[in-house]
Amino acid sequence: MNAIPQLLFDALSLGGIYAMAALGIALIFGVMKLVNFAHGEYIAFCVFALIVPSTDAVAVMFLGKAPAILLIPMLLLIGAVVAVASEFFVFRHVRNATPVAMMISSFALGFVIQNTLLLIYSSRPKAVSLWPELNQPVSIIGASIPLLQIIVIFTTLLVVVTLALLLKRTRIGLEMRAAAENFTMARLLGVRANVVITGAFALSGALAAAVALIMVTQTGVADIRMGGQIMLVAFIATVIGGLGSLPGAVAAGFLIGAASVILQGFLPLEARPFRDAFLYTLVIVSLLLRPDGLFAPRSTKPRV
Amino acid sequence: MSKLGIFDVAVRYGKVPALSDVSFTVEEGERLFISGPNGAGKSSLLKAICGAAPTSHGRIEVDGDVLNGRSPEAIARLGLTMVPEGREIFGTLTVEENLRVGTGIRRDKAAIETDIEGVYESFPILGERRHANAGALSGGQQQMLAIGRGLMTNPKLMLVDEPSLGLAPNIVDQVYETLVNLQDDRGLTLIIVEQSSARAARVGGRMVLLRGGTVVGDGDAAKFAESDLLKEAYFGQDQSEEAT
Repeated sequence: MNAIPQLLFDALSLGGIYAMAALGIALIFGVMKLVNFAHGEYIAFCVFALIVPSTDAVAVMFLGKAPAILLIPMLLLIGAVVAVASEFFVFRHVRNATPVAMMISSFALGFVIQNTLLLIYSSRPKAVSLWPELNQPVSIIGASIPLLQIIVIFTTLLVVVTLALLLKRTRIGLEMRAAAENFTMARLLGVRANVVITGAFALSGALAAAVALIMVTQTGVADIRMGGQIMLVAFIATVIGGLGSLPGAVAAGFLIGAASVILQGFLPLEARPFRDAFLYTLVIVSLLLRPDGLFAPRSTKPRV
Repeated sequence: MSKLGIFDVAVRYGKVPALSDVSFTVEEGERLFISGPNGAGKSSLLKAICGAAPTSHGRIEVDGDVLNGRSPEAIARLGLTMVPEGREIFGTLTVEENLRVGTGIRRDKAAIETDIEGVYESFPILGERRHANAGALSGGQQQMLAIGRGLMTNPKLMLVDEPSLGLAPNIVDQVYETLVNLQDDRGLTLIIVEQSSARAARVGGRMVLLRGGTVVGDGDAAKFAESDLLKEAYFGQDQSEEAT
């Protein structure tokens, strides 16, 4: 009876996670035309940074023991540091390579991170109990919603607004937008390539940490493969949104989240196991109709 | 002082040479046209100076600072600015944001606001549309914006690549009038790539003539317009001179 508000909250919170992950990818693609497939592994890395390194099935909290007010900024910082380090040690050296070569190095980096986690924590998924009280339901407009969903929706809004303000109002934001549109021209005007790219990676890594916190609270599991699935969806969101378009990435993230929840809710019972097949069919249709993405950046060809 | 020296410079794209053995110097406050037919290496030379294309040989200096091997952003900090072919304005940024992109290198933060107003005084249309997306400007307005954007870096030397490209002749007149005025006001050194040697002769200044990636002539633009050297440089490519 209260299915509609329930669906709405489900769609918004799932879409919010996808949107944040997609933003992390779109930010880096914008400034250096790199599709960073290691982004999912940043998320996994941040999740595992919460627990004590061991191969046991039940995780012992490490950083996860800290109070939220300390834990959140610390994990965002860890995400940013991992991403910036990966740029410094890996992507900086392939910056002038073809986009395909850069993408393949991001796969390689992803495998390195994943296997490092495998070595330290083993491949068994671990039960992690971070802020379990957030999964308690609260009643809103007749629907019973886990508190976390509401937090996720507000976090997404906060992230999107903060990012928009940062890009619109700050010097580094202006430089990032200029560099995303025409990197060479921005450099000719004195914009430092390294500063802009490092900034984009730091933001992207912090976004990965935010997604990690939400995922681990929601699922209660730390799994070294957890980055893969969300990375795939987030990548699809950036493509559908129009590669390089930040508003497009956010909108497409929400769109995929909504489509996924709606399919889950309205598909006939026997078809539900194939939900993702339906979802990706929609993705294909969308790409056939709008190959440049639904929200492709306006053509910036010079006017004559 | 901003004396530019180019010594024996070569640029190649892969195995294809674009420039070889190019040498000349430009004095402070001088106006130099670089002319020549398509594929002569005019744009390559400008790109080599501003750091957008690597040199394979030779040396480029400004006031004794060697530019080769420096990044474009480092060269911009030495007081060189580029107004590139096709304008390359940031179409998704507003007019004012375009002007601010290049101000990050300046130490005199206080003067930036007055300089922006100065650009709006020189180009009133940019002031009127300061909050509009730059992509919505006409070609001529975009050329003005590209020049204004370059000025906001507070340069000593301005490189302008084909400012007349794709613009109506009366707009081109305006662009050149602006450039000459700016030079008179600020003592800028100007290097302009201009395919039409007749246009260069009319504006006046020195001209370096390129052909096949090497310098084939160097002298007063007005004298070039009548000489056989020019015809030789263009070598029967009459269509290149259609603007004359």
